[in-house]
Amino acid sequence: MKRIVFNNPTAQKIYDDYFKRVSRCIHVLSADDQRELMMELNSHIYEATHMATPQTEVDILVDTIEKLGPPEETLQPVVAHKKTQQAIRSFNPGHVIQALYLNFSNGVGYVILSCIYLLITAMGILVVLKLISPSHTGLFMYNGHFLAFGFTTVLRAGNSELLGSWFIPTVFAIMVILYFLNTFLFRLLKKG
Amino acid sequence: MYYICRMNREFVQNWFSQVKKGTLSYIILIILDEKEYYGYELVQEIKAHTTLEVAEGTLYPLLNRLKADGIVESKWIEQESGIPRKYYTLTRDGKATLTEMKKIWTTLGTAIQRIQK
Repeated sequence: MKRIVFNNPTAQKIYDDYFKRVSRCIHVLSADDQRELMMELNSHIYEATHMATPQTEVDILVDTIEKLGPPEETLQPVVAHKKTQQAIRSFNPGHVIQALYLNFSNGVGYVILSCIYLLITAMGILVVLKLISPSHTGLFMYNGHFLAFGFTTVLRAGNSELLGSWFIPTVFAIMVILYFLNTFLFRLLKKG
Repeated sequence: MYYICRMNREFVQNWFSQVKKGTLSYIILIILDEKEYYGYELVQEIKAHTTLEVAEGTLYPLLNRLKADGIVESKWIEQESGIPRKYYTLTRDGKATLTEMKKIWTTLGTAIQRIQK
């Protein structure tokens, strides 16, 4: 890729720094994909700035880079998509793991939300199980060590259930905490 | 009794950004239907024809997606400056897609006009 040469040294530094950031964001891609993305951004910056005078170069360049947005954010979907395509083409386990990581991080928040909702549902089931089978549901200890929290079919000698009638209120308290945690996470994701 | 009615600015802004997001690919296809454009030129064309403030960083990922879907194709053309331009054009599938999108847009527009009366 042919670098753009600016008359103003500050503009040159801003340009070089921007492409260092771009380079860091796309280093996981194949050499061809990296070159394609860099050339496209370079072309955009050249078209926006080539009419600028040395006095206006910095302002126009900063404005152009600002409008392009932070490469860490704007290039993320493209990198995830291109990495997936590369993984599909090559079947290289390294590429597959990187593609999974990049795509997973997009939806990781929603995965956590789903897990917490699943946990809340499981807690609700525990309340019902405590009513149906109180001796098999609870916080179980074995010789003074934590064994299980929930439902068990096997009760061995030495097992003791700690919470007793406090099990249901404890489960309700956990459900309320998880519910508020999920609502908070959901709001964070929506803001993002 | 008097009520002061205020527009919910946040709601309108959110709605407008959703509308922009949803219509940007349609606008790009309409513009590319006339002739081929390179990225920067395409941004200027969108600005010239609409009041939309395009987030330029979102344009290239969108063009990449349209290319991956076979709706547009691109080619690099060398320039005297030594910095080539990447020109985008609609593919045959892209033209057919645009025709379908125009039908949907017209139907939707007519329905909204009818409701707004």
